[in-house]
Amino acid sequence: MKKLLVFSLLAVLLASPLAARGAAEQVTDEKPANKGTLEVVMGADARSLDPQRTNDQPSARVMKQIYETLMHQTEDLEIQPGLAESYEVVSPTEFLFTLKRGVKFHNGEELTSHDVKYTFERMREINAPAAFLVAALDRVEVIDDYNFKMVLNFPFGPFIAHLGHPATAIINRKAVEAAGEDYGRNPVGTGPFKFVEWRSGDAIVLERYDGYHKGPAMSERIRFRFIAEDTNRAIALETGEADIIYDVGPNDFGGLAANDALTTYQTVGLTTFYMGFNAEKKPFDDLRVRRAINLALDVELATEVAFQGYASAAKGPLAPTVMFANQDLPGYGYDPDEAKRLLAEAGYANGFTTSIWTNDNPIRIRYAEIFQEQLAQVGITTRIEIMEFAPYLDRTAQGEHDMFMLGWVAVTGDADYGLYSLFHSSQFGDAGNRTFWGNDEVDRLLDLAKESPDFAEREAAYARAQEIIFEEAPWVFLAFRDDLNATRAWVQGFVPHSAGHHGLYGVYNK
Amino acid sequence: MDKDKEKDQQPPHPEAGYSIGGASEQAGVTNGIQAKAPKQRGQWAEVWHRLKKNRMAMFGLTVIVIIILTAIFADVAAPYSYRTQNLRRIAESPSRDHWLGTDELGRDIFSRIIYGTRISLQVGFVAVSISVIAGGFLGAVSGYYGGKLDNIIMRLMDVLLAIPAILLAIAIVSAFGGGLVNVMIAVGISSIPIYARIVKASVISIKEQEFIEAARAVGAKDFRIIFKHVLPNAMAPIIVQGTIGVAIAILSAAGLSFIGLGIQPPTPEWGAMLSGGRMFIRTAPHIATFPGIAIMITIFALNLLGDGLRDALDPRLKQ
Repeated sequence: MKKLLVFSLLAVLLASPLAARGAAEQVTDEKPANKGTLEVVMGADARSLDPQRTNDQPSARVMKQIYETLMHQTEDLEIQPGLAESYEVVSPTEFLFTLKRGVKFHNGEELTSHDVKYTFERMREINAPAAFLVAALDRVEVIDDYNFKMVLNFPFGPFIAHLGHPATAIINRKAVEAAGEDYGRNPVGTGPFKFVEWRSGDAIVLERYDGYHKGPAMSERIRFRFIAEDTNRAIALETGEADIIYDVGPNDFGGLAANDALTTYQTVGLTTFYMGFNAEKKPFDDLRVRRAINLALDVELATEVAFQGYASAAKGPLAPTVMFANQDLPGYGYDPDEAKRLLAEAGYANGFTTSIWTNDNPIRIRYAEIFQEQLAQVGITTRIEIMEFAPYLDRTAQGEHDMFMLGWVAVTGDADYGLYSLFHSSQFGDAGNRTFWGNDEVDRLLDLAKESPDFAEREAAYARAQEIIFEEAPWVFLAFRDDLNATRAWVQGFVPHSAGHHGLYGVYNK
Repeated sequence: MDKDKEKDQQPPHPEAGYSIGGASEQAGVTNGIQAKAPKQRGQWAEVWHRLKKNRMAMFGLTVIVIIILTAIFADVAAPYSYRTQNLRRIAESPSRDHWLGTDELGRDIFSRIIYGTRISLQVGFVAVSISVIAGGFLGAVSGYYGGKLDNIIMRLMDVLLAIPAILLAIAIVSAFGGGLVNVMIAVGISSIPIYARIVKASVISIKEQEFIEAARAVGAKDFRIIFKHVLPNAMAPIIVQGTIGVAIAILSAAGLSFIGLGIQPPTPEWGAMLSGGRMFIRTAPHIATFPGIAIMITIFALNLLGDGLRDALDPRLKQ
């Protein structure tokens, strides 16, 4: 009996790679079954489908199909009219909008100015995680069903751009009130797809909304599924289980790109990876130490290794795709001798002992291990502390750390989003500035550029602010990650969005 | 033979599976009050004799001795340092320079596995020592005294047992942070109840025997009786469980490191190495495979030895 069991187990073990190979070879250029359903696989489940209850990427990727915003941010981050047909700048703090007519929510209600007013009032009332986007907004004045005025408390340069952020999607009062507490699982928008079902941790199913104001979408259904492991997502695509996968792992991308049955997309994203110093703590309160560490690290080589080549080494805080990114910053380069000299000057000729904190992200851990070795070359001994993400964010917000690894996505594509939270002294801790580094001149420039509607003035202010940040080195600038996505070759019309929430309106299986 | 009958009348206890048992030994032990030293040596010699006949156990023992020697002489045996990176030669397949290839940061995998024996053995033995000492003490006390104290201790152990060991270890490491020492403590604490139960079971069966009564009659204190007479005779199941426990501890530590909660880099812990290579499983499978094989061989050898010891210590099981 036992022997039989062992033999059959062995047989199964031996047969399974063969079977897997067989399956992989059955690749054809046409989707075998259920062509109308687009199978999209991403790394994590959504948290809520109420745009005002969350501000995370997986949720935004689903909501993007269900909801629409007043302005529309194209894949290249251009701002175009969305639900608002047109707008007029009355003064730096007053905007007159005209809504598109004949737009219907999935529950049959027509979109009017009252929905817009309700949306922004609710956002403030329930203190939505993304309410800061429209913090400048004082009130929405309804003129008639299709015309309304937005009045700001102070001039705010990126205001119009922020109205294209998925978190500012327009919702319908009736639908929200009808669903009550469960609205996050019964979303109603004006977008090309309507919600069907959500099985937590497994899948979210959307169905084409035939009454969509720009005409029905190309696919009948979309099924979003969640697979956390990079490699498993890649396998799902190879076997044809998925039509589209988001966030391909750097290790898998080469293999997928070489496969004729697949199409891969490598695009410059909006994400900055950095290692921050706790500038309130010794010895990182000393500029010479921060610069010395910048010089002691071979960031270019480390980036090449950590990202397998799917990123470019950073020289400043903003990815080149972000508006107002200063691309003239020289970068620190790799100069351990100069680093040692600076350390000696700062009184640390024999180095010191410190720690690098990171969450359990393999790329960040790889950076940390490389830096541990490179810092050892200039006499700095580092311990690497690996934590889970939630306690990691909490404890770095409290300022318990020495050095830490994080990333930041400038979702709106504007320098304000990419700099203000990270470098303004009013944003210490959880708001985003975990280095606790502040500079009066940078504060002034960021405030100025935030409030100015004048393009040239903003550009100059951001350029100078980035220069100061570079010189003051509260970070080691690490990398701008490439966005890696892949689809089956039979998928048509997929254009990756720079901010990661890809629109699927025109995407279909051929 | 009377002894055996007495034993059979005891309620069947799952953990009382082993005990030095056997009529001949019972006699030896009872005589042991007068002529303890020579007789006990004889008993262990017999165990060794029986163990030697078990080929699989001897194979396990040989492997473990080799691993221990590797750990002691790691500095001599390893061709490279475990932490030197060569970022221009990452994820290389096995070659003459690097017998088992290089890992995701260009470190020599062979050297890291050799240094890793130190970490794994340390974790295994220290964690088991913690659980044997704490579990043995609690088990002995509750088995010897019984009553309310026994009830309190055993219910506490039940609570601990109700939480899966790995989950308990994760909770402890999350609360106190990672690092070698904390991992050893976490893994050790999580298996205390197993030893407490085993020791309690054997203590109960031993404390009713005549030689304990005799010791009590000559006025020996409880403390002395427990440590001089009860525990030495309850060693067999502890040794067996301890051998297997080392294997479990190594696996738990590797598991904790795999999920990123264990030992901090660049310590060449096998589980952490596996985890680091996981991302490369399709492009450079050797990075994850070799540490995995190292874990497997070690655990396999420990389990073979553990099984062999159980058979050797309790010949009745063989019949």
